[in-house]
Amino acid sequence: MPGNRTRRSCVTAVVLALCAVLSGCSGGTESSSTGGKVVLRYTWWGNPDRAARTEEAIGLFEKKYPGIEVQTSFSGYDTYKQKLATQAAGGDAPDVMQLDYRMIDQYASGGVLHDLGRQKSVLRTDEIDAGLLATGALDGRQYAVPQGRGTETVVYDAERWKATGVPLPSGAWTWSEWADAMRALAEKTGEPAATDPGQSEDAFEVWLRGQGKDLYTEDGELGFTADDLTRWWTFTDRLRRDGVVSPAEQTTQLDGTVENTPLGRGKAVVDINWDAPASGFVALVGEGVTLAPMPSGEDGTPGQYFKPSMFMGIAANSEHPREAARLIDFMLNDPGAARVLGATRSMPVNETLREEIAPDLKDFDKVIHDYHATVEGELNDPPQAPPSGDSALQTTFQRDYDQVSYERMSPREAAENYITEAKAELRS
Amino acid sequence: MTTTEVPTAAPAKGVAPPSRPARRRREGAAWVFLSPWVLGACVLTLLPMAVSLYLSFTDYDLFNPPSWVGLRNYTQMFTEDPRYWRSVVATLTYVVIAVPLQLALALAVALALKSMRRGRAFYRSAFYAPSLLGASMSIALVWRAVFNDGGTVDNLFGTGGWVNKPGWALFAVALLTVWQFGAPMVIFLAGLLQIPGELYEAAAVDGASRWRQFAHITIPMLSPVLFFNLVLQTIQAFQVFTPAFAVSAGKGGPADSTLFYTLYLYDRGFVASHMGYASAMAWVLLIVIGAVTAVLFRTSRSWVFYASEGDR
Repeated sequence: MPGNRTRRSCVTAVVLALCAVLSGCSGGTESSSTGGKVVLRYTWWGNPDRAARTEEAIGLFEKKYPGIEVQTSFSGYDTYKQKLATQAAGGDAPDVMQLDYRMIDQYASGGVLHDLGRQKSVLRTDEIDAGLLATGALDGRQYAVPQGRGTETVVYDAERWKATGVPLPSGAWTWSEWADAMRALAEKTGEPAATDPGQSEDAFEVWLRGQGKDLYTEDGELGFTADDLTRWWTFTDRLRRDGVVSPAEQTTQLDGTVENTPLGRGKAVVDINWDAPASGFVALVGEGVTLAPMPSGEDGTPGQYFKPSMFMGIAANSEHPREAARLIDFMLNDPGAARVLGATRSMPVNETLREEIAPDLKDFDKVIHDYHATVEGELNDPPQAPPSGDSALQTTFQRDYDQVSYERMSPREAAENYITEAKAELRS
Repeated sequence: MTTTEVPTAAPAKGVAPPSRPARRRREGAAWVFLSPWVLGACVLTLLPMAVSLYLSFTDYDLFNPPSWVGLRNYTQMFTEDPRYWRSVVATLTYVVIAVPLQLALALAVALALKSMRRGRAFYRSAFYAPSLLGASMSIALVWRAVFNDGGTVDNLFGTGGWVNKPGWALFAVALLTVWQFGAPMVIFLAGLLQIPGELYEAAAVDGASRWRQFAHITIPMLSPVLFFNLVLQTIQAFQVFTPAFAVSAGKGGPADSTLFYTLYLYDRGFVASHMGYASAMAWVLLIVIGAVTAVLFRTSRSWVFYASEGDR
């Protein structure tokens, strides 16, 4: 009977459709093995230079463990941060992820990270400085392992600087000496000499520490006042008005990639950045890229510090925590990987390996190594890990400074704005 | 009054209305076939909406369980958040600039295409293409590159980059969406082709100028289509996201000048991890769009002319 056939095909259609709907929903949990191989997802932020070297190291890893396939993906820091937060909230965090100091607190307390103590047998951490290792722990549990130790730096194109005839930076300098040098450079070149540091919470922190203060108190509250921030922004705003640092139009484009900095775009000679990502400048401005220490307070107090530059962690809901731990172990402790990776995530944390590869370092890796040597022992202890809200405040800081550099608010108005927003952010 | 004959789709002749049991059987089959979509609507639309409504009364940071805060998100939004109001102002400015511009351009091009004898199909597709492409991120990124400082427009005219000037960025974004006038244009064109030629011939015989023909025939005859486009584009404009996101690299900059409502909503939700606040913002947007649409419908009574009303 034709009616019957219709009904049966209807039922079939419904079943098929339901299957489609349901399987669509369960996409996140589908088995992540292909051809008997364990597939790990590994995500990180960085530049193309880091990408090439990471892929090479992953290649070595896959050769050593033929049963494991690693799928990597990377992006700029801002994008990475947003994507990872969304994935983590959806229970879909990648098996292995690169984390920032500022994420540890939030991710660990939010239950996103696997307790690495359970993978002790495959993940060796005994050759990492105990103090450094502790930065990845929360409430006595190790949630992430630092992958490098980095520090902030004044990065500049030495060739263009030399061409101006202005004396090159020699060792320690204060913020006013830095400003004088930038002023001289700008006069010679006729264009802004450096990225406006006013937008960077990191640069502000160095300036603040140079005066013996901190971004946050021990209870995770703001460690500075609107007066402090007003003075910092007045200082940078004056430099911008005088054409010494980048104009608002360029500053607003900063997004954490070296490509969008004035130095990277060939519009300035100097940038303030972290040491490891500075390697990205070599491809953009040439071999002359050099590092100088961050300016100190006027009495010589250093504000710069060694910070665990980035961490590796495993997702709490990873189906293959053991293999993921193997990958982390390989990236941190394998001599072959260490040679390939060099200083692309700043200097290796494994102390034996660090000594071992030091003489073989080439090009920019060597620049970073030598730079570390010049500031080693000179710097004060790092601050404690920033509280959870800080992650959003980094962006707020830059955005509020936009109001200053576009001359829509005075430094004081913007500073008071920021303090209000920061207090609200840290309270919640 | 003579009724104008508006050609409509001819009713299928020769198909007798089905008998009752047959109709019920057919309805049953319809429901069976619809069920995936009904299910989809419930699971993928209604449920998330309910969750979002609940979240709007909570503080939820994506990582820890939501905690109930009552109306705090709403009160904070209206009384303590200057950036919220900046986003409202940016959005309203954008709606007021972009919607009329886009509709005017769409109508102008549709009129030009209507009088075209050859190649209409080609130009219709050519003008429609940006609407298809424009929704994509890539065009917005190209737009950013073109209007950036050091970009094409800067090099040609020395503008110094529109997307980096707080006073110009909003305009640059509006221009990007205005340029995607293809969808309303196609609808306008269809509407124009429905207007019977006799009307114009009669008017021409009576000595009406082109302008009078436009004002007294085209506009009234087109008013339902105009209304449809207005409502649709207004709703879309309130929700503008992609172009601003791409042009300002997700920040709504420079200096919050392109901080559209949805962009700020995204910022609160995914950058600052305040999902509760973002949900509250979404609900306010829903209510505002509903209200604006209702107002449009109310005013439409005085200016939209439906041909069928002439029959009454």
